[in-house]
This record gives sequence, structure tokens and C-alpha cells, in this order.
Amino acid sequence: MEALNVERVKKSFRSDMMFSSKEILHGVSFSAREGEILGFLGPNGAGKTTTIKIILGLLRQDHGSVTIFDRPAGEKRSMSRIGYLPENPFYYPHLSLKEFLEFCGRLSGISNKKLDARCEEIISLVGLDRNKKQKIKSFSKGMLQRTGLAQAILHDPDLLILDEPFSGLDPGGRKTVRDIILELRNNGKTIFFSSHILPDMEALCDRTVIINNGAITKSIGLDEIFRIGENRIEITARGCSSKTLDDLRDYLERVDNKDEETFLFVKKQEYIRTVIQHIYNSGGEILKVANEHPSLEETFMNLVNGEKASAEKASEKSNSENEMKKEEVS
Amino acid sequence: MRRISSIALNTFRETIRQKLMYLVLIYIGILLFSVFVLSPLSVGAAKGKIIIDVGLAGISLFGVLTVIVAGSSLVHKEIEKKAIYSIVTRPVSRAEFILGKFSGIVFAMAPLMLSMVVVMAVMVLIGRGEVTVTVLLAAYLSMLEMVVMSAVVIFFSTFTSPILTSFFSLCFFVAGSLSGDLTVFANRFGGNSMKYFTKGFYYMLPNLKIFNLRHEAVHDLRFNSSDIGMTTLYALIYCAVILYFANLLFSRKEFS
Ligand SMILES: Nc1ncnc2c1ncn2[C@@H]1O[C@H](COP(=O)(O)OP(=O)(O)OP(=O)(O)O)[C@@H](O)[C@H]1O
Ligand SMILES: [Mg+2]
Repeated sequence: MEALNVERVKKSFRSDMMFSSKEILHGVSFSAREGEILGFLGPNGAGKTTTIKIILGLLRQDHGSVTIFDRPAGEKRSMSRIGYLPENPFYYPHLSLKEFLEFCGRLSGISNKKLDARCEEIISLVGLDRNKKQKIKSFSKGMLQRTGLAQAILHDPDLLILDEPFSGLDPGGRKTVRDIILELRNNGKTIFFSSHILPDMEALCDRTVIINNGAITKSIGLDEIFRIGENRIEITARGCSSKTLDDLRDYLERVDNKDEETFLFVKKQEYIRTVIQHIYNSGGEILKVANEHPSLEETFMNLVNGEKASAEKASEKSNSENEMKKEEVS
Repeated sequence: MRRISSIALNTFRETIRQKLMYLVLIYIGILLFSVFVLSPLSVGAAKGKIIIDVGLAGISLFGVLTVIVAGSSLVHKEIEKKAIYSIVTRPVSRAEFILGKFSGIVFAMAPLMLSMVVVMAVMVLIGRGEVTVTVLLAAYLSMLEMVVMSAVVIFFSTFTSPILTSFFSLCFFVAGSLSGDLTVFANRFGGNSMKYFTKGFYYMLPNLKIFNLRHEAVHDLRFNSSDIGMTTLYALIYCAVILYFANLLFSRKEFS
């Protein structure tokens, strides 16, 4: 079963001028399988928060649909299975942390009997034991973020939707959030979160959905990243003659020289042995063999830039085609 | 029900925090002023009546003004600061939110108004006056009026800013208190279209005149006691209708 399914969602916002409106989401579709951690990645202004707000019914889509565990989002039954951490959380300043969580718990239907113990448990889970009687008004940004996480997981939701859960947190806080996310996944929960911090995303996600300019560019699984990585075997050697390199030409993608060291990028995993042996036999020395997969960051930048580049190329191409046609005509 | 009461309790606490109880002190000041400055000017039995007159008018006015001032920013602040995200993303319907806010304000206002009634009664008794049933009923009707105005404030606050909410609610209060006169005025001076316009406006407005029993209370006149029941019923129906429309608007609202 799919925990979350977003289907061809479109959304326009009225711009400052009265009658014009600008489409921000152009038919966004993706889904999160039950029990996975799905990352939501995209540059500023791509439409992540807008998409998340539509899922939660804070905004209404102009087109398309959202289902949660195969039921329409917005139904009470669906809403009770979701936990949500907003982008810049803000809560009632006049309440203390404990009072606020109790309030949230009542709204989510936690019984009075269990409420107190559950609040205490969550407060210590997010590391705010010392602040539970403090008014939220006086909380720092990171403490607010932790409060936000606490209210999101309070009612033990099956689907957690977190809008930039790592923002404003110190290293300890990040680790706490990472641990909580992993722990929840191990308990069979589904987590969908947006983030700018790529290493966090890379370390946590089973899959990542990339959004750019209001459209889903790509959905990648970690295994796919590793598959890309097969092409990226890098051998660092010393004392390779140009003849040796010439012999190996067919096996290599690219060769870089720096000082006395040579960096050889091997085309395929199977070739490593051949390449290394040949270097040895011709008197070279192997310094390092690394199997690096490109980070999500690289993939991400490539995708974002690649899209721009291909768009430019396409327009160039059509321009030149037009010119050619003109020439033909004349 | 538990969800509504939680929201109501939260609203209650938020409203109480605005230090409304200081208003009671101002109220006491006004009553003392009327006792020591205005009463000596009048003669005989009129003396006791002045406290009742000023006291009841004060309860009505303070009640309505406080609801408008304290209530108009409640919903808006919650949307502006995004605190509402933690409510409407839970299994809470928009109607429950509206009802919670409404009852929260009403429950915050009730002790305020009750303490004004007590203050007035004590002062009347000190002046060896008599607190008649009519006086208490008049105070009760003022509280009903406050309940109706709370609903009006909630209605406006679902779609406009705090300032406009205060403004529109105040207009409703003034026009509602005059509503009978308004149609008379239109009939006398207005053209046909003016007549329909004022008629439409008239039916939308709460008829606040019927919540005014002060004249009868001051002069201890007789009144039709079944009117009290009818007025209560009217208040409940008016609240239900206007809150229904508030919910209709609020359900379509986006939070961005
Ligand atoms: N209420 C609104 N009215 C008009 N435009 C809006 C509104 N909300 C968002 N937008 C526009 O929609 C686009 C997407 O915004 P969104 O907040 O979804 O981006 P995001 O991906 O969350 O960015 P970030 O990484 O900075 O949080 C932006 O161009 C923004 O200007
Ligand atoms: Mg965002």
C-alpha cells in the first residue's frame, strides 16, 4: 500500500496584480511507499513547502488529488494518521511545552489516561526535559524545532511529513532527529521530509524525489545512485609512462595528471584488475583505488544544471534549425 | 466535544491573559463617579436609580466593547503566526475550531460580566436600593447580547483583518441597536431601492434592541416575561446561523 500518493497536483497563486495568477506547481506526482523514508529535494522556491501544505490541506490544489493510505487526504481518518512539522514552527507563546503537547494530544484524541505519560516520553525523546515547564515564548529556534518534532510524533502517526526538520538545529539536535526518524522507520512508519542538507538526506533516505521549478525532475533510489557509481572507479598511481597509459586507453574513461601522480578513471568494474596489473608490470606504483559514487549533491546539481543546459541546447537547436530552413528557402 | 473544549479552554486562557479584569476596576470607578458626582444632583428615589441605570448600561457597553477588542485579533493572530497549523492538521474540523473559539471567548467574558453585575448589586445595596428581579434579568440579557456579538466577531474574523473585524462588528452593534429606527428612517426618507437595501441589511443585523431591558429595570416597570424566553431563543438561533456562515467561509480558507 502507498502511504502517500500525490497525483498531478497543480497550484497557482494570485500574484500582486488582481487578475493574473502564476502557476507554481505544474502537475506534481509522486508517491511514498509504506515504511520508507522518502526525501524531498529541491532548490529554494521550487515548491516543496507548497506541495506539503497541499498534502495537509492548508492550501487547496487547483487540480489533481492527494491520497493518504488510499483514502482522500483531509478526511478525519486520514488526518489522524499524519504528523506534521511545519517549515518555521510557531506555537502558542502563552503555553508551556508540556501544556502545549497536552493540548495537541487532546486534539489528536489521545486518552486522558495516557496523555501525561506520552507527553513526558516525547519531551525526553526530543531532549527538552529541562524545559517542559518553560513558556514556549522564550524558546530558541532550535528548541522550537524540537517542539515541532515533538508535536508531530506525539500521537504516533503512521505517516510523518516534515518540512525541513534539520533547520536551526545544532549537531546534537540533528543526530536526535536522525535517530528518531530511523527509529520510526524501523517501527514501520513512513517518513516524508524536505531538506536542503544533502548529506542528511543521503544518509537517511531510501529514495529521493527531486523537484525543480514546480515539477518533479526525478525520483531516485539509493541503489540507483550506486549503479551510477560503478563508473566512478578512480585509481591513483605513480610512475606511469605515456606508453602504459596508451595501452590502457580502451579501459579508461579519462586520465588526469597532477605533479607526479596520475589519476585513472576506469570505465567498468571488471577492468580494475587488468589496469592495476598492467601498471604494476610496467613498473608503476598504485597509491590508491577508490570506488566513489557521486554524492546526491552532485547528482542534484547536475540535474538542476543539466536541465538548464538542455533547455538552452534545445532552444539553440531550434534556432539553428530555423536558420537552416531559412537557408534552404533562399 | 473534547476537541472543541480543548480549543475553547486554550482560547479562554489566551483571552484571560489580556488582563481583562482591569476593566472591572474601571467599571467600579465609573459607578463610584456616578454615586458621588451624579447622584447628589438628583433628588429622592432617582438617586438609587442612577446606579442601576449607569451600572446596566456599563455592563452592556463594556461587555460588547471587550468582546470586540479582545476577540477581533484572536483568530487572525492564530493564522498570521501559523499556530493554527498545529490544530487544523489534526483530526479537527474547521467547524470545531470555530465553535471552540466562540465558546472560549464567551467563557472568558462571562466571569468578567458577572463580576460587574456583582459590583453593581453591592453598590445598589450599599445605597439601600433594591436589586429587583428585573435588574438581574436586564443583566442577563446584556450577557446574551455579548454572546451574540461574540458570534459576530468570530464571523468577521474568519475573513478580514483585526481592524476591519472591530470596525464591522462595531457597525453591527450600533446598527443592530438602532435597527428598528433604521427601517423607519428608510421608509420615511429613502426611495424604493433604499428601502430594499435597508430591509436586507435589517434582516442580517441582530436585533439588539430586544436585549435592552434597562428602562424597565430602572423604573421597575412590568414587562412580558415570555419575552425573555423568546429573546434567549432568538440569540441562540442568531448565533447558530452566523456561525454556520462563518464556518462556510472558514472552510474555504487557505493558510499560506
Ligand atoms: N502565498 C503565496 N502567494 C504567492 N506565491 C507564493 C505563495 N507561497 C509560495 N509562493 C511561491 O511559490 C514558489 C514555491 O514556494 P515554496 O515555499 O513552496 O518553495 P520551497 O521549495 O519550499 O522553497 P524553500 O526551499 O525556500 O523553502 C515560490 O516562488 C514562492 O514565491
Ligand atoms: Mg520551503
